[in-house]
Amino acid sequence: MRTKYLLLFFVLTTGVFCAQEKVMSAAEIVTFKKQVETTSKATNTIKSDFVQYKHMDFLENDIETSGQLAFKAPGLVKWEYTKPFKYSVIFKEDKLLINDGGTKSKVDIGSSKMFKKLNELIVNSVRGSMFNDSDFDISYSTMNKFNKAVFTPKDKKMAGYIASFELLFDKNDAAVLEVKMVEPSSDFTRIVFSKRVVNSDIPDAVFNN
Amino acid sequence: MRTTEGLREVPHANLEVTNSYFSVIDTDYVYKAKIEIYGRNLGGILVIKKMGPETHRVVFTTEFGSKIFDFLFEGDTFTKNFVLEDLDRKLIITTLEKDFRVLIKENVAVVQKFTSENLEVYKSVSDKSFNFYFSNTSEGRLTKITNTSKRKEKFEILFNSIVPDSASEENKIADSIDIIHKNIKLAIHLDYLKNN
Repeated sequence: MRTKYLLLFFVLTTGVFCAQEKVMSAAEIVTFKKQVETTSKATNTIKSDFVQYKHMDFLENDIETSGQLAFKAPGLVKWEYTKPFKYSVIFKEDKLLINDGGTKSKVDIGSSKMFKKLNELIVNSVRGSMFNDSDFDISYSTMNKFNKAVFTPKDKKMAGYIASFELLFDKNDAAVLEVKMVEPSSDFTRIVFSKRVVNSDIPDAVFNN
Repeated sequence: MRTTEGLREVPHANLEVTNSYFSVIDTDYVYKAKIEIYGRNLGGILVIKKMGPETHRVVFTTEFGSKIFDFLFEGDTFTKNFVLEDLDRKLIITTLEKDFRVLIKENVAVVQKFTSENLEVYKSVSDKSFNFYFSNTSEGRLTKITNTSKRKEKFEILFNSIVPDSASEENKIADSIDIIHKNIKLAIHLDYLKNN
């Protein structure tokens, strides 16, 4: 008898959790895409804090790092980790400009199609403008306060590195709140944005190493 | 050989020498890593975890979190769980395997002992190479491991300092580590990440 109740409890609660995330209808997808596009077009710069959680199943605790992000249209991005170490990467054209605690280096990614794609993903995900990418299957769902888009790579080689790429959007202003990169092993990196400031003046010099 | 210059050999009663820096089961040893290889710099995060009495997992990711390699050491067995395609060359993997095996190996049989004023040095044999464990008697801890062939030093691991609040003997955590190769241009620097 007791097992029966327990089972019922699980069925009910699972139902509740599932109900929180709903697959979008075709009409909802159109509206959502338009909303993101409008926001994205009106966004020239973004400054934001972020916390990154690296989850690996074998670890006791996620590895937590944090810092600031700067974006300037059309494609300048600087990721700067400040805790617990100093490390920054600037995405600039086909180059990565790296400052690893004072050690500066430059990586040319022009030759690697996959790295190019990964960078494009990162740059575009900051604004959310990546729905026209034909390299991914995209699924859309909606929750209480968020909209979610999940990108699954079509290319087999890329799928060997990334199982999926998830973006969580604020339902009101279509700002990207979270980015989650899931590996084939199901380990993932989750980045949560906060204190987002849009369209403040960011000098180009910020994107020099 | 240079490794034992200025030292004198003494009879040894110790059967084993212990490296306890990665010996606590279920502890995430998380390090910021800087690798310099033939003039190129590669940064990332290195995680070492003891999974069982004879088992260690060693994982290296970029700062963004994507995996570069994922190794499993079970006794003498070595498994590549994952290696980034560009890095998957036999020479690189063998070198890294050797480095990390020496880094994490806990209990090692001693064949010779040397001393000087503030050093106790234990020599051990592993395959065709030798490892010299340098223990600083005033600090009371392992400060260096030198890996050699019969004649030449191959690489050394320097345990520069320990995390101040990890003082108890078996819980000592290395704060700063250098792995320096003598015959190839490879150097790995590790800094312990305190908030993990």
